[in-house]
Order: sequence, then structure tokens, then C-alpha cells
Amino acid sequence: MPLLSNIKSLLVLALFAIALVGCDAGVPEPNLAPAKAKAAQCVEPTADMRKNHMKYLLVHRDKTVIEGIRTTQHSLNECINCHVAPTREDGSAVHYTDEKKDHFCSSCHSYVGVKLDCFQCHADRPQVMENINYQHKLSSNTYHLSAKNAPPELSDLLLLGQSQQAQGVTQ
Amino acid sequence: MSQINAYRRKFMAAVGGVAVGGLASGVILRSVEASDVPAKPADQPVSNKVRWGMLIDINRLTDGGVAMVEACKREHGWGNDPKSRPEQQSQWMRTVKVTDKLTQHSFTLPVMCQHCEEPPCVDVCPTGASMKRADGIVQVNKHICIGCRYCMMACPYKARSFVHESLTDQRPHSPRGMGTVESCNLCVHRIDKGQLPACVEAAPNAVIFGDLNDPNSRISQAVKTLGGSQIRADLGLNTGVRYLGL
Ligand code: HEC
Ligand code: HEC
Ligand code: HEC
Repeated sequence: MPLLSNIKSLLVLALFAIALVGCDAGVPEPNLAPAKAKAAQCVEPTADMRKNHMKYLLVHRDKTVIEGIRTTQHSLNECINCHVAPTREDGSAVHYTDEKKDHFCSSCHSYVGVKLDCFQCHADRPQVMENINYQHKLSSNTYHLSAKNAPPELSDLLLLGQSQQAQGVTQ
Repeated sequence: MSQINAYRRKFMAAVGGVAVGGLASGVILRSVEASDVPAKPADQPVSNKVRWGMLIDINRLTDGGVAMVEACKREHGWGNDPKSRPEQQSQWMRTVKVTDKLTQHSFTLPVMCQHCEEPPCVDVCPTGASMKRADGIVQVNKHICIGCRYCMMACPYKARSFVHESLTDQRPHSPRGMGTVESCNLCVHRIDKGQLPACVEAAPNAVIFGDLNDPNSRISQAVKTLGGSQIRADLGLNTGVRYLGL
């Protein structure tokens, strides 16, 4: 049965070739598409980020939780806001634990084999469902009529109600 | 009219149970003010010059604090964890109904972390996760919390909860996760930006928030004149949350 053995050896060859190609593809690219759509650069030089992002994150988290320092440069929330799109093109939610490994952090972490527990607590994608009422800043004029001297009017109250509604729609 | 007079006036109105018409509504509206929480530069640490406190006037809380609890749930996303039984759900803040057995007089008040100056939950924590920030806010540093729940046992106010299940899509500004303890943190993420806690915003007529260390703050003035009782004052914990009308 020369034909069959030929086919067999062909198959083996093909498998080998596929394996080789697999090796060539080697290191997968992290999913940088969402970030690149928003910015040209990371918060630190790219090479530095590859090596040291964990240091920045771990330092910043203690500064925030213990000392109340709220700078944005090394904030985990900001990494997620820039690096992760809340949904894929088909509308499905992007999560760190997804099989697809297209979440920015898992796209590299699954390859390097470092497990992250951060997303057991931290949101792993930007918030989509809005929490309508509590997003406005004290300094903004939508907040409680910050002007101390002007006596508030009933119309101010109406205004407050309206601006809150408007925020709910836009966010 | 000075602020304190304004406050006294509307407090008297509340005690008298009378509607005072046009003037009073203006006064009431002003009871939550922008200046209560001055914005701190983002890169500056919090300092112990400040001690955050809250004065809750129970007579003015017509709903007994339900709106405050709802606002807290919305802000932090607790209370609706899909797999937990009702008694396992987190509860950062709850309403408690108190009835005098003899007179049957009853009232309802919101209870959450009282932000003690001498917090028992901090004393018992084996890892230092249960902590008091320099500005008096008592919170859990979940990064080092091991979920032992000693703090839940130690708290006389039953203010802390434990998360029993894995969660997704938490509020980005309020991370919560399985195996750690959590409680009211006075909305640190808002205070640090110069915003009021969510519950205070939800009850602007009944709550004053501010710096107890600043003798000129509205809350200091209010507690100085009107008092403000602590729950279980006998424990000597010197709470940051005070009540009027207890
Ligand atoms: C058990 C829950 C939990 C886990 C797990 C967790 N965090 Fe946090 N993290 C929190 C809480 C709660 C805060 C405080 C949020 C605040 O005060 O605004 C926080 C705040 C932070 C902050 C500051 C806020 C920000 O967005 O910049 C950083 C940075 C941070 N965490 C990094 C991490 C990293 C990195 C990991 C994984 C190694 C991690 N956290 C794991 C609960 C958690
Ligand atoms: C404003 C958007 C933005 C923010 C915020 C941001 N990044 Fe980036 N990041 C980028 C962009 C754009 C690149 C790609 C830069 C390039 O191509 O050289 C990048 C690259 C990276 C890389 C290197 C990936 C590679 O090519 O191997 C890492 C790691 C990274 N970011 C982690 C983080 C972390 C961690 C945070 C939060 C502390 C963060 N980034 C915050 C935009 C951002
Ligand atoms: C380009 C690859 C790459 C990307 C992208 C990446 N990481 Fe990492 N990360 C690593 C590597 C490699 C390590 C382990 C380094 C070591 O152990 O020396 C690591 C370690 C960490 C650690 C420390 C883990 C520990 O247990 O000590 C944290 C925290 C972390 N990464 C967070 C993130 C977050 C959050 C993101 C997404 C915003 C991210 N990383 C994206 C490669 C990456």
C-alpha cells in the first residue's frame, strides 16, 4: 500500500510543518489595539513598562489606599480605561478570565504564566452601565448650588434634577 | 444669618414638626455645601489635621435613611451579589428601627461604620489590613486582608461584611472581591477628590459632613451647639459619626 504510506508520511510532514510554524509564531503580541486607538504612548516608555509595570502598580496601590494619593499616572483604573475596550465588536464583554485571552493583561500574562488576582476585586473593563447620580464633582455647577451667598431658588432645585438626568443620558 | 443660626432654625422647625414655608426651604437646601470637603491636590497624602465626621439628624430623615442606604448600594455596588443568600449579602449600611417598649415610640436610623477614633477592628487585625487613615477614615486595605473576620467580631456596630463569592464588573472606583472584609469607607475615593460621600448627597437636608478638627467647619459648629450623640458612647470609642435625635 504505497499510496497510504505516502499519505501517512505527507501527514507527518504537514504536522511537523505546522509545529514549526507554531514555534515561529512564538511570542504572541499583547492586544494593544484598544490602547493604540486612544494614545500613542504608554504612561512610561514601552520597554520600561514591559519590565516594570508591576512595580509601578504595587507602589501606587499602597500610596492610594494608605495615604490617599490619587494621581492617575500609575493608577490601575487608568490602565484598564486605556488598554481595555469594554466589549468586542460582536458586543460580548471582555474579561480578564475569558478563554480568548484578548484582554490586554491576559494576552500577555497567560503566555508568561503569571497569574493575577487583581481582577477578583478590580473591574477588568471600563464601566459601561452607569451609576447615574453620583458622578458629578463638587466644583461643577451641577452640584448643590455651590454659590454660598446666592439664596437657592426652587428653580435651582429643578435645574439640579434636570442636569442629573442629562448626565445619566450622556454617560 | 450665620450658618449656625440657620442650622438651629431648621432644627427647631424639625423638632416642632412645622412646615416653615418659603424661607425654610432655602435654608434647608443649603445644608450640604461645597466647602464642607475642600479638594486635596491628588499628589498630596491625607493628613491628620483633618478628621472627617458626619452628623445625622434623625428627625429630618423622613425615610429613616433608606435613601442613604440605596445611594451607598449604587455607589459601591453591594447588596446584590448573585449567588449569596440574603444573610450573606454585604451590608455597608443598614437602617435600624428602635422602639421604646414602654411608650411604643419608635424611630429609624441609618447605621454604618462609625469611624471610631479608637477602632476595635484595627486592634484585632492580624495583618494590619483593618486600618485608620490619617484623616480618621477607618477602612479595609483589601490588598492585605486575609479574610479572617476578626474585625467583624470586634465591631460593636456590626458594620462589616464578608464577600462570599467571586464577582465581576464591580464599580471601578470600589473594588470588591471574594474572601475579603469590607465596610463603609466614607467614600474615600470621593472625599479625596473633594466630593461628599454618596449617602450624604442623598440626604442633604438631614446630614452635615465635614472636618471635626476645624472649629469653623459647619459640622464642628453644629455639634458644638446642638450636641450629637454617639451610639454606645459608653465604649469610649469617640466615633466620627454622630446623631441628633437619638
Ligand atoms: C481583595 C480585593 C482586591 C484585590 C485582590 C486587589 N485590589 Fe487593588 N484595590 C482594592 C481596593 C478596595 C482599593 C481601594 C480603592 C479606593 O480607595 O479607591 C484598591 C486600590 C488599588 C489601587 C489604587 C487605585 C487605582 O485604581 O489606581 C491600585 C493601583 C491597586 N489597587 C492595584 C492592585 C493590583 C496591581 C492588584 C493585583 C496584584 C490588586 N490591586 C488587587 C481591592 C483589591
Ligand atoms: C493613555 C493610554 C494608556 C494608559 C493609561 C496606559 N497605557 Fe500601557 N500602553 C499604551 C500604549 C499606546 C502602548 C503601546 C506603546 C507602543 O506601541 O510603544 C502601551 C504599552 C504597554 C505595555 C507594553 C506592551 C508591549 O508592547 O509589550 C505594557 C506592559 C503596558 N502598556 C501596561 C500598562 C499598565 C500596567 C498601565 C497602568 C499603569 C498602562 N499601561 C497605562 C497606552 C496606555
Ligand atoms: C508584555 C507582557 C505583559 C503585559 C501586557 C502585562 N504584564 Fe504584568 N507581568 C508580566 C510579566 C512577565 C510579569 C512577571 C515579572 C516577574 O515576575 O518578574 C508580570 C507581573 C505582573 C504583576 C506582579 C504579579 C505578582 O504576582 O507579583 C502585576 C501586578 C501585573 N503584572 C499586572 C499587570 C496588569 C494589571 C496588566 C494589564 C494592564 C499587565 N500586567 C500586563 C508581563 C506583562
